[in-house]
Amino acid sequence: MKKNKNWIQNIMRSFHINSKKEIVDFFVRLIFMISTIISASFIVIIVAFIAREGIKPFVTDNDGLGAVNLFKFLSGRVWLTGTTFQSNLYSVGFIIINTIYVALLSLLIAMPIGVLTALFIAKIAPKKLSSIMRTVIELLAAIPSIVYGLFGAGVILPFVYNFAKTLGIQSPGGNSVLATVIVLSLMILPTITALSEVAIRSVGKDIEHGSLALGATKTQTHFKVILTSAKSGIFSSAILGIGRALGEATAVSLVAGNSQNGPSFGIFQTTSTLTSTMLQGLKETIGIDYDIRFSVGIVLMIVILITNMILNYVKKKVGNVNVK
Amino acid sequence: MSNVFTINNLNLHYGDFQALKDISLDVERNKVTALIGPSGCGKSTFLRCLNRMNDLIDDCQIDGEVLYHDNNVYDKNYDVISLRTKVGMVFQKPNPFPMTIFDNIAYGPRCQGIKDKTELTKIVETSLKKAALWEEVKNRLKENAMSLSGGQQQRLCIARAIAMEPEVILMDEPTSALDPIATLKIEQLINDLKENYAIVIVTHSMQQAARISDNTAFFHMGELIEYNTTDIIFTTPANGKTEDYITGRFG
Repeated sequence: MKKNKNWIQNIMRSFHINSKKEIVDFFVRLIFMISTIISASFIVIIVAFIAREGIKPFVTDNDGLGAVNLFKFLSGRVWLTGTTFQSNLYSVGFIIINTIYVALLSLLIAMPIGVLTALFIAKIAPKKLSSIMRTVIELLAAIPSIVYGLFGAGVILPFVYNFAKTLGIQSPGGNSVLATVIVLSLMILPTITALSEVAIRSVGKDIEHGSLALGATKTQTHFKVILTSAKSGIFSSAILGIGRALGEATAVSLVAGNSQNGPSFGIFQTTSTLTSTMLQGLKETIGIDYDIRFSVGIVLMIVILITNMILNYVKKKVGNVNVK
Repeated sequence: MSNVFTINNLNLHYGDFQALKDISLDVERNKVTALIGPSGCGKSTFLRCLNRMNDLIDDCQIDGEVLYHDNNVYDKNYDVISLRTKVGMVFQKPNPFPMTIFDNIAYGPRCQGIKDKTELTKIVETSLKKAALWEEVKNRLKENAMSLSGGQQQRLCIARAIAMEPEVILMDEPTSALDPIATLKIEQLINDLKENYAIVIVTHSMQQAARISDNTAFFHMGELIEYNTTDIIFTTPANGKTEDYITGRFG
């Protein structure tokens, strides 16, 4: 019995546990650690699975079609699905460009509107109005993407179609870069607004008063001091916004037109993004045409990773000011 | 002798609470005027009336006159922006903007439309020199102002106010967040500055009021109990409450 106790004490000592309280503490920490391991391991499992499937088209001969050339895959301008299962000429080069193009355009539209709205809600609007606005924005941010997609298909597409018609341009049902950008802007606007609003609201009153006491007008104070003080948080909102724009599939595939070649820069051209390409016909295909979508998935993850890294770098460069 | 501010029968309410009761007092040019009194006595509120910073507080009602060069700053048509360029303010907690030291000082002049780089450079240099900060920061003007120490930040805020070439500088307990050495530097600075500016300073420290001010006003429960030269207030106060306060019997 005594020996047994010594054995337990030795284990406890090796984990730096000296009392009963510390035993509880040890187990609580253990629970935290296990939770972390579970959630982190899912990321590893998902990435590993996608990678395993996605590499197939490049390393196997795809049931006699031959391996896909990685360089052509990344640089080509045609996504060949017309003769499905007959060819290995898939490429996502133009789709990568399309994806980044529409995401950046959406950010370009949503960012100024979102930040100005946030400024209005946080600093200019009367208290009652701003609390109503805040609720509305939160609701908008919670609307599922398919709803935005349906709105896009039902409202934006006819609008773009008619708009193109008045300009004398034939638009295929309105499916276009423009429609995609409008839908994506609408989707990321609440995210950007909500996060920017929090960032703006958290700028200290003392800084605001300091500016006003120097004879700056309210507008000067808002733009020169409050926005610059909040720019780190505003940048974070842009990062999340562009992440959502890059990763959005459902809504985009309803309005993009899913073009098979490109890149499409004209606003009335049909387009396709990495996500819409992955989604299109996923359930009705097999072989290389199925596997290649996982390769697109890898590309998408890399694109998002690189975009985030670039934006984080820029954020550090311009926004490292929230030292208190 | 000339007054920059003449305050007549000033009353201020926050909602139902009367924070200032019938205050009348003159602020003299080239003098340091100290406002002392226990917490909540209204001295900071009074200070903020002078550059209308109380406008920013909801539910704040003011009547009476605050005459700045014979014009009531609470007149409906009074240009509050120009008032604040003439009446600078330094806050309790150093509040530099999160930008470079240069941009902090240049902020006020830029807001007034000065864009010329050489002129701004000159303003920045003279302001920092007047605030006795130039020697410490002249090689790091491009650094973020947040990297300065607390005392340096407060002198930066003073320099920022000076850059506007104001006539009056209001200081709301400018040393309460600083260590004794930084406090000493600010006090010396105040002494130098009064050659060119009228200074109104709120302070919790009676020693500080005695050290640096020419005139002292004692506030209690929203009332101005006594206003006189600092010498008289601290040696032969007329009011019993003043005597109790300066001898440390309450407050």
